[in-house]
Amino acid sequence: MNALSITGLELARPGGFRLSVPSLSLAQGEQALLVAPSGGGKSTLLHLVAGLEDPDAGSIAVADMPISSLRGAARDAFRGASIGMVFQTFNLLHGFSAIENLMVAMMFSSVPAATHESRARALLGELGIERPEQAVETMSVGQQQRVAVARALACRPTLVLADEPTASLDPANAATAIGLLQRACRDHGAALLCTSHDPTLRAHFSRVIDLGTTEAAR
Amino acid sequence: MTDFTIVLRSLSLRRFSTTVTVTMVAVSVALLLVLLAMRDAGRAAFRRGTGNAHLLVSADTSPLVAVLNGMFYANAPSQPIDWAAYMKIREAFPWSWTIPTQLGDSFRGSPVMATSKEFFTNFEPVLGQPWSFVAGKVFEAPYEAVVGAEAARLHGLKVGSELVLAHGVGTASGEAAHEHEDHPVEVVGILAPTGSAHDRAIFTSLETGWCVHAEESRLKEAAAANPGEDDHGHLHVDPEDLRDSEKLITGILLRVPTRPGEQVSSALPVAFDLLRRQFPFTVAQPAQQVGRLFEIVSGVDTLFIAMAVAVMVAGALSVMLALYNSMDLRRRQVAILRVLGASQGRVFGLVLAESAIIGLLGSGLGIALAAIFGSVASAELQRRVGLVIDPTMDLRTIVLCTAAATFLACAAGIVPALRAYRTAVVQGLRPLG
Repeated sequence: MNALSITGLELARPGGFRLSVPSLSLAQGEQALLVAPSGGGKSTLLHLVAGLEDPDAGSIAVADMPISSLRGAARDAFRGASIGMVFQTFNLLHGFSAIENLMVAMMFSSVPAATHESRARALLGELGIERPEQAVETMSVGQQQRVAVARALACRPTLVLADEPTASLDPANAATAIGLLQRACRDHGAALLCTSHDPTLRAHFSRVIDLGTTEAAR
Repeated sequence: MTDFTIVLRSLSLRRFSTTVTVTMVAVSVALLLVLLAMRDAGRAAFRRGTGNAHLLVSADTSPLVAVLNGMFYANAPSQPIDWAAYMKIREAFPWSWTIPTQLGDSFRGSPVMATSKEFFTNFEPVLGQPWSFVAGKVFEAPYEAVVGAEAARLHGLKVGSELVLAHGVGTASGEAAHEHEDHPVEVVGILAPTGSAHDRAIFTSLETGWCVHAEESRLKEAAAANPGEDDHGHLHVDPEDLRDSEKLITGILLRVPTRPGEQVSSALPVAFDLLRRQFPFTVAQPAQQVGRLFEIVSGVDTLFIAMAVAVMVAGALSVMLALYNSMDLRRRQVAILRVLGASQGRVFGLVLAESAIIGLLGSGLGIALAAIFGSVASAELQRRVGLVIDPTMDLRTIVLCTAAATFLACAAGIVPALRAYRTAVVQGLRPLG
C-alpha cells in the first residue's frame, strides 16, 4: 500500500496557472520535500491531495483510497481520519486549549471517544507541551507549532501534509522544527509530504520532489 | 469534546455580540410574554369582577355602561331607580337573590357603594369565593362601613377609622366632590383581597347613603323655603323617617335559581326577557358584557400582540446579523474544522445550533424579565387604577413563546449557516494579511 499515489494529475486555472503531475507516489512512512518556485503549485498540490480542491484530470489516492473520487461528507471524513495537515500559520482553533485542539480533530475521526483525552495528552507530552490546558493563542510560536504537529498526528493518519511549516521561523528554529515534524511522523508511522521554498531544508530529506522538473515523476 | 462544546466556545469567543443578541431576544420574548400575561390577567380580572351575579339592572343607557359603572366603578350611574321599582322587580320572578346597590359617593377618589347586607352573604365577588374579612365584620347600623382590601391599603384604613364621604366620585384629593362632613362613617370591617374591582371600593348600608342624602336635600329645601335664615342647624334623619322618594338606588344585582354547584340556569333567558319587557331599565348580563368589552378592545389587543411579534422578528434579525457578520471572522475557524474532517452539513448544524442556543438563552432571560416586568406592571396598575391583576404566565404560553423564539432564531441562523456551509476552505486557510 502506498501512502500517496498520483496519476495523470492536471489542473488549469484562469490566468495561465497549470499544474501537471504525471505520476507521484509516497511509500508508507516515506518523507519527501516538495519544492517549486513561488507560485509553482506546491500548496495547490497539497490541497488537491487533501481533497480540498478537485483536479481537472487524473487520480489521487491516499492509503489506496481514491480521495479525488470521494464526494462530500465521505471525503471530509476520510481526510479527517487519514490525512494530517500542518500549516505555516498553524491554523489552530483560538479560544480552545492545546488539548482541545487535538480533541476537536479526533471528534471527526474514528478514534474511540473514550481515548481522545488520553491520546491527546500523551501526544502533547511527547512533543514537549507541559501545559496542555493552556489556550493556544497564549502559547509561544514554537509551542504552537508543536501543538499543530501533535494535532496532525492525533487521528493516526497515513499521510501528513506540511505546507511551509518553517516559513515563519529563523533558520536555527526551522531546522529544529522540521526535525521535530520528521521525528514525530516517523514515530507514528505517517508518511510526510512537506513543501518549502527554503533550500536549507533539502538536507533534511532523502527525497526531494521538484515540481518544476520531471523529478516529480517516479 | 462535543459539538455542543464547540458551539458554546464559539459563542463565548464573541461574548459581547452574544450578550447583545441574547438581550435583544430576551427583551422581545419578555415583551410578548408580558403583553399576553397582562391581557389574560386583565380579562381574568374583569371576569372575576362579575362574580356570581347573573343580571344587573340599571338606569344607565347601555348594558355595557351599566356593567362598567355598576360592577367596575367606572363612573357613578347617572339615573336612579326608585325603591318601589326595586320591590316590583323583586316580586316579578322567583329570584335566588336580589341585591340593591347605590353608587355616587366616594372617599378620596375611592368609590362608595351603599348596599344591603346580602351583598356580603349572597354575592360572591369571585365565582366560588365568598367574601372574607381580614378584620371586623359586616355593617349592622347606619354610618358604618366595610372597606375593600385595596381601598384600606390605599387610605391606611383600619377598623375604627372614620371616613367623611363625598358626594360624587371626585378625585383622590376630594376635589369636585361635596363632603358629607356632618356624618363621619366608622369602619367596622376590612375585606380580604379578591382580585376584583370591588377591592378598591368602600361599602355602607343603603340607609347610610339614603340618610346622608336626605339630610342634605331637606336642608336645601329648608334653605329655599326660608332664604333669610343663615343657619338651618343640623338636621338628623333616621332610617325610619325616610320618605319613599328618598330611597333611591342605582343598580340591582340578581341571580336566578340554579342547581347546586351549577352557575348557569335555563331560567336566565326567561328572567332576562321578563325584565326587558316589563321594566323601563337596562338589563345586562355582566359576563356577556365583559365578553363584549373584550371584543371591542380586541383590535387594540391584536395591535399590541402584532407589535410584540414584530419586536420578536427584529430580535431574530439581530441574531441573523450578528451571526452573519461573525462569519467573516470565523471563516478560518470553519475552514480549520473542514480540514479536520467536519462535513459541510456538520458546520451548517454548528452555526444553526448557535442560533438555537441564542434563542433558548434569550427566551430564558426573557421569561425572567417578563416575571419582573409583570410584577412591576401589576403593582403599578393596582396603584394607579386599582385593577388587581395576577400576571402569572401559564406554562403553555411560556413553552409556546420559547419555541417560537427558538424557531425564529434558528430560521435567522439559516443564512449565516449557509454562508458557513459554502465557506471556501482553501481561501479560509490562507494566512491573514
